[in-house]
Amino acid sequence: MNEMSWTPPGPPSLPSPPPMPVAFSGSRGEFFHLVKRGAGLEFVTLGFYRFWLTTDIRRHLWTHTQIDGDGAEYTGRGKELLIGFLVALAILVPIYLGYFLVGLEAERVKAFASIPLIAFFYLFGQFAIFRARRYRLTRTVWRGVRFWMSGSGWIYALKASLWGLLVMVTLGLAMPWRTAALERYKMRHSYYGDLQGSFEGTGWEFFKRGWWLWLLAPVVFVVWPLAPFIYGAFKAVEWRWWLSGIRFGGVRLESGLPRSRLIGLYWKVIGWMAVLGLIFSAYLGLAATLAASVSGEEFGEFFKSQEFSKSILLLALAGAGYLMFALAINIVLRVYLVRDLWVRVLESINIHGIEAADNVSARGELANALGEGFADGLDVAGF
Amino acid sequence: MPDVPKPPAGAAIYFDGKSSQRRAVTLHLGDRLEIRDGETMLAAWAYADIRRADGPSGMLRLSSLSAPPLARLEIRDAAFAADMVARCASLDENTPGRRGVVAIVGWSLAATISIVAVVLFGVPLAADRLAPLVPDAFERRLGEVADSQVRTLFDAKVCGNAAGEKAFVKLTTAIREAAGMDTTVQSSVLSSAVPNAFALPGGRVYMFNGLLAKAENADEIAGVLAHELGHHKNRDNMRGLIRDGGTSFLVGLLFGDITGSSALIFASRSLVTSSHSREAEQDADGFSIDIMHKLGRPTKPMGELLVRVTGKEGKGLSIISSHPLSEDRLARMTRENRPATKPPLLTPEEWRSLKSICDSGGKI
Repeated sequence: MNEMSWTPPGPPSLPSPPPMPVAFSGSRGEFFHLVKRGAGLEFVTLGFYRFWLTTDIRRHLWTHTQIDGDGAEYTGRGKELLIGFLVALAILVPIYLGYFLVGLEAERVKAFASIPLIAFFYLFGQFAIFRARRYRLTRTVWRGVRFWMSGSGWIYALKASLWGLLVMVTLGLAMPWRTAALERYKMRHSYYGDLQGSFEGTGWEFFKRGWWLWLLAPVVFVVWPLAPFIYGAFKAVEWRWWLSGIRFGGVRLESGLPRSRLIGLYWKVIGWMAVLGLIFSAYLGLAATLAASVSGEEFGEFFKSQEFSKSILLLALAGAGYLMFALAINIVLRVYLVRDLWVRVLESINIHGIEAADNVSARGELANALGEGFADGLDVAGF
Repeated sequence: MPDVPKPPAGAAIYFDGKSSQRRAVTLHLGDRLEIRDGETMLAAWAYADIRRADGPSGMLRLSSLSAPPLARLEIRDAAFAADMVARCASLDENTPGRRGVVAIVGWSLAATISIVAVVLFGVPLAADRLAPLVPDAFERRLGEVADSQVRTLFDAKVCGNAAGEKAFVKLTTAIREAAGMDTTVQSSVLSSAVPNAFALPGGRVYMFNGLLAKAENADEIAGVLAHELGHHKNRDNMRGLIRDGGTSFLVGLLFGDITGSSALIFASRSLVTSSHSREAEQDADGFSIDIMHKLGRPTKPMGELLVRVTGKEGKGLSIISSHPLSEDRLARMTRENRPATKPPLLTPEEWRSLKSICDSGGKI
């Protein structure tokens, strides 16, 4: 481990116990079975199963994550996510309608009249991120005490949007300071029982570790195979910086995640996507041949005459194939970028001062899943 | 203590749900499950209240309905855990399991069926009822937005050299008056080679020069213009907008999460909406036939123009094509055809002017 090279040395007078690593006890096969079965059920239910699959994935990851010998627990349920989604829908639909009408007026005035509307949705997305995090945190239990969150989703959304503006103006250079400021807000309002959280990472520290990636980013547009390397390294830097900044009272997290640790995962995902894409193309070719032979026309003729766009058989086959393809990609993403990433990041963590969490009083109320619903409806994600 | 055989006991870890304190306890299986730390009894759980909580493999984690919601007992000894499972009859009542999955699949299918039913029957009905309620001013505004988009999309200018414009106005006025519509209806010819014509919301009708080039007489063009006015009269644009919006929203709801499902949404939407737009086309054809009858002119020429433009379409299933087959439309217009009872709508001289409306010398 190389964590000593960059961790600020603690007060030398205290004889502190050795840092506590975090263990993960889940089996990869079990997780694969879980997401495979989930994808099948998503197929059967045309996607409605997503609420329960998300819940099952979290239950698996949480329960097998062991801190100081005790496994965590996720107490959220799929039904809560479904209700959150439905409520979010009931709120979003009138907003979308209003958006349509206002957009119509704005279009008449021309020019950049529709930009404030996009900004509004951005604000809403940030609100969703905050509230979704609150839901997840209040469903996280360790040693019979839950995590919870205070703070206001709208204040967070306002902060995030103003910082987002600054990031845009500085072409991304202000990103580390934005992340640090938002993390400080979120962690300051996070609690484990009566143990208040805080975030000690600084934007400058993040910048020092990642500035060369920022410089390299434009190169990606020319040499695209570099993208997984740069993105993978960036994510590793971000994870390590984020985890090392987390505090709960006297409990201090520290991560020694090497920069190269996640790059392989992104390449594996790309490889699988290529393989699946190839299979899907072959399947489409087969389906087209079948449809052409059923219609009784020459293969070339079938496509020249635009006949193929009207063939129900081909459309149905292509639709089903596409659905399977999308679900297979979801399995790949969940295995590599959810489970494997989770495990690799966990392995890098050391916890100092865990004894501060030995006798924490339970506090905090459960939060509803509205934020998760918004995040689902608006397609945003984040911690 | 009476001298009876000691009930079985086992070791466990206990969290009382009020603090994070980790306690090594012994469990005594009496009438109730007794949780003891040495001699002090910490809690006693009735077996019927005990529920399973999520735990890592190799550990039985329990909660109780009568204890604080987050109080947990963790049993690692497999034999003792099996004994506990046997004693707690309602252990798995709250655990998401097979029965739950069947219920989810069942409800999802019910939701799917209801969404499909709403898409097939509810949305078109709502569109039919709502379209007439939309104020004209709003529809015209929509038309203005669409207008500028159409012009950029086709990169087209409005044609109108003096002689051609005069002939076009004569033709459109005759049709408009026969249809009983006021001057909010505006028609223009656009300089584009695409052989097509369409009506925008709010009553603006556009005909592309490409269609004029393919036409052989004024009756053909009159039929097409009347057809587009039919769309305006039936408010097909508004209906289509409501229907398409509602359908894509509902279908989107259905496929929700599955990554990049927009292609799927688009495909299934076009299947559903095209059958309705075919009905709209047939109604517009009917309107056009009526107008031509009023003008005392034959209806067959429009059908001939259509076949000339599209060619024979005969083969295959046309369930997703938005217009009816040109042959079928020609057949209908031939059936409804009546010999001319009134003079041609344009003189040969005017017809020639109209054909060359986009020729140079025209003003914009």
